[in-house]
Amino acid sequence: MKVNVNEKLVEIEESSNIEQLLVLLESPLKGSAIAVNQKIISRSEWSRYQLQENDQVSLFQAIAGG
Amino acid sequence: MLSDSELLRYSRHLLLEDFGELGQKDMKNGKVLIIGMGGLGSPAALYLAAAGVGSIVIADFDCLDLSNLQRQIAYKTGDIGADKVALMKQRLEQLNPEIRVRSINYEMDKEQLLMELMMTHLVLDCTDNMESRQMINEACVQAKVPHIVGAAIRFEGQLMFFDHKDPESACYHCLFPDNEEQALNCSNSGVLGPVVGTIGTLQALEAIKHITGFPSAVKNKLKLFDGKTLEWQTFAIEKDPQCSVCGNLVGTKQ
Repeated sequence: MKVNVNEKLVEIEESSNIEQLLVLLESPLKGSAIAVNQKIISRSEWSRYQLQENDQVSLFQAIAGG
Repeated sequence: MLSDSELLRYSRHLLLEDFGELGQKDMKNGKVLIIGMGGLGSPAALYLAAAGVGSIVIADFDCLDLSNLQRQIAYKTGDIGADKVALMKQRLEQLNPEIRVRSINYEMDKEQLLMELMMTHLVLDCTDNMESRQMINEACVQAKVPHIVGAAIRFEGQLMFFDHKDPESACYHCLFPDNEEQALNCSNSGVLGPVVGTIGTLQALEAIKHITGFPSAVKNKLKLFDGKTLEWQTFAIEKDPQCSVCGNLVGTKQ
């Protein structure tokens, strides 16, 4: 199935969770935050949260600068 | 009561519908702690002082460096080497002698910060590193003091507001649970002045709204700003029941 990650289509296996998506994208887990359909998904949920077809996933980094 | 000079100084506030003299009195009674006097803290402190927040405490332990001046607009080239908080205190007092400004020029530990939180209504996190951000969040959760978080690097900005008076509020750690210094900062990634200035300015705007009783559009939300496209993204942040900083408070409440 396809999900949209930061405006790009990504093909993932059915019932993949967020952690599996990040591994597929070779994206670091640390320092990252994830929103699905404009809602932040807590780190503690990543291994349980199953993505659905056409989900809008936003992946971004914590920034500390000021 | 506002004095004649205050009525004139704040006349453009008094003309605002829903603000008026009552709003300005709230401002006068307002107490804000701003931590970090860099690219975020510069506009935030200047705007809050100009707007008449009655008590402002500013904290930073850095001296002004030449490389700060590209974005930290409160300072001058001739100020290089001096304590930022001393410079800022003088700047704010010159800008608005009607307010009280106190400065803290050392790195606070959590106990010292908790003491400060007993004397403030609101915290602006304008710091430049993850360790400080996590400590400020923990202290604000513990002391139930609302806090407005700004951050910026490159062309990107982030803005959040957590009202810890509400036990159901999310916290910074629900969103970013990594304590170690992994996060990008201005010295390792660069930043454009107006990008960090935009976020600091919005922290001041949200602070004024909070003090005068306007609802916030960023409470339990993360706003991401893209300085290249000028687009904003908004994400809802829910309290993480497993959060090691704010999660257990829900359990103890019952």
